[in-house]
Amino acid sequence: MRELRAWTALAFSAFRRLLWSSATLMLLFPLAACLVFLLRQRFDRIEDPVRAFQLFSNFLLDVFTPVVVPLCALAFGTAGLAGDREDRTLLFLLIRPLGRGLILSAKFAATLPLVLGFACGGLWIFCRLAGPVGANAFDAYLPAVIAMSLAYTALFHLFAVYFKHATIAALVYAVFMEALLGNMPGIIRRTAINFYGRSLMYDAGVDYGLSAPDPALFDPIGGQFGLIVLGGITVGSLLLAWLVFVAFDYEEGA
Amino acid sequence: MSSAVDLTFEQVTKFYGPVIGVNGVDLRVGPGITGLLGSNGAGKSTLMKLASGRLRPSQGRVRIGPYNARSTRAKRLLGYCPDVNTFYEEMSGREFVRLMTRLYGYSMREAARRTDTALERTGMSDRADRRLGGYSHGMRQRIKLAQAIAHEPRVLLLDEPLTGIDPGGRREINDLLRRLAADGLTILVSSHLLGEVEQLCDRLAVVSRGRLIAEGTLAELRRLLGDEPLTIRLESPGARQIAAIIVESPDISHVEIHGEALTLRTRNPVGFFALLGESVVARGFEISRLETLDAGAEAVFGYLERSAS
Repeated sequence: MRELRAWTALAFSAFRRLLWSSATLMLLFPLAACLVFLLRQRFDRIEDPVRAFQLFSNFLLDVFTPVVVPLCALAFGTAGLAGDREDRTLLFLLIRPLGRGLILSAKFAATLPLVLGFACGGLWIFCRLAGPVGANAFDAYLPAVIAMSLAYTALFHLFAVYFKHATIAALVYAVFMEALLGNMPGIIRRTAINFYGRSLMYDAGVDYGLSAPDPALFDPIGGQFGLIVLGGITVGSLLLAWLVFVAFDYEEGA
Repeated sequence: MSSAVDLTFEQVTKFYGPVIGVNGVDLRVGPGITGLLGSNGAGKSTLMKLASGRLRPSQGRVRIGPYNARSTRAKRLLGYCPDVNTFYEEMSGREFVRLMTRLYGYSMREAARRTDTALERTGMSDRADRRLGGYSHGMRQRIKLAQAIAHEPRVLLLDEPLTGIDPGGRREINDLLRRLAADGLTILVSSHLLGEVEQLCDRLAVVSRGRLIAEGTLAELRRLLGDEPLTIRLESPGARQIAAIIVESPDISHVEIHGEALTLRTRNPVGFFALLGESVVARGFEISRLETLDAGAEAVFGYLERSAS
């Protein structure tokens, strides 16, 4: 009971600190930019529903999924524990009678509603703006966005416990792995999380008329396999993060 | 009064890669206030980190009561006032202490009650609702102390607790620590302010180059240094005649006279005081003042460090 109360206090305070942090403000910019773009595009005025779905899906596949979703996870995923390490306030948590697993899980639990809120909330707003095709797109793509958000958040928590300056490490990862390797032709793109998320989205969008991409440019895997990989990345990253967090000394509170 | 809890280092060694930070330290810190002295790099900080469970010893064991210092049971018994000066700056002092207290699993109401008590004891009640970001160094020290005592620990570790606190505040904090010690708390204070440690602590533990080189009361430590010269100052109208008598002793290495004040150094304090009784006082010389100048913590610490090297 005492542990649960302590865990809840830590998770709630971490959530509140993240909500009122600069990360929240920072995320409003890309979301606002997307909003302006969608308002100018007016997908709801395109008469052919299949074409409208295709065009709106292109926006989600090329901008929202590879840029906005990782940004949400990066902003909050690294601001929690990594912020404590950079500010040297982690020490105040490590000297309390809370197991390290509980500290990590509380921080993860605090981050998750914000990442999911911004990613799924953003998707919902954009889909509403897109009109009738948006409603289909939301139903089709929501599972992929949730799975990607979880995978990114877990991965960035692993970065937070391993690297002292996790935000920089996560930015380097996002630029090189997700933006660069994730957009390269061939099998190398499979090193990026967004490949699996986009595969899931292609798989789900086919039912609404989304045409398959040119295999030379993007050769998606099956939706179910994509979901398994993203789930594996989430669970694997969290397990690894827990092992690292328990093993490291963090002697300076960082 | 709750039962006393000891902090115990058992043959503790800590390596940082190939560098040894602490070497085979055996130390038992019991109720009362113990000062941990050592120059920079002596191993003082490593011992504090080991005691607070932030570091794992490479060899040996650190225990708080019967528990491993890294265990959650040990952490329930421990209060730690670190030397780190960063907090959740957007919070008020009260919010910060309350959050830290809630992490022990107390209900909101109980945590609030304990926070109020701790803030009152550290003299921060009236300033606790201001944002931490605007606090002075002294106020931060008090908040750190408040978060360390709010859950009523049995072992209290204080890393440089008086740095940045004005003399009046130091007296208040010292009084608080003495009250806590009187309640049976085991308190280990790491400090480079030797004068303050001397005033505050019942016992001293001196570390040098990763080793514990001495431990005991100041008087016990001074006695360990039988061969070290002791500087003594006495005042007498017959200072010159006294100097003429004692300079004959082979144990006296240095004599200085300034008016009625005589300052001397002896390698054999016990022999000197015997000589003083037999040859000076017995002859009717009036001694108005007698003091030892380097029996304080700083001098003892200097002697111990020199002996260790």
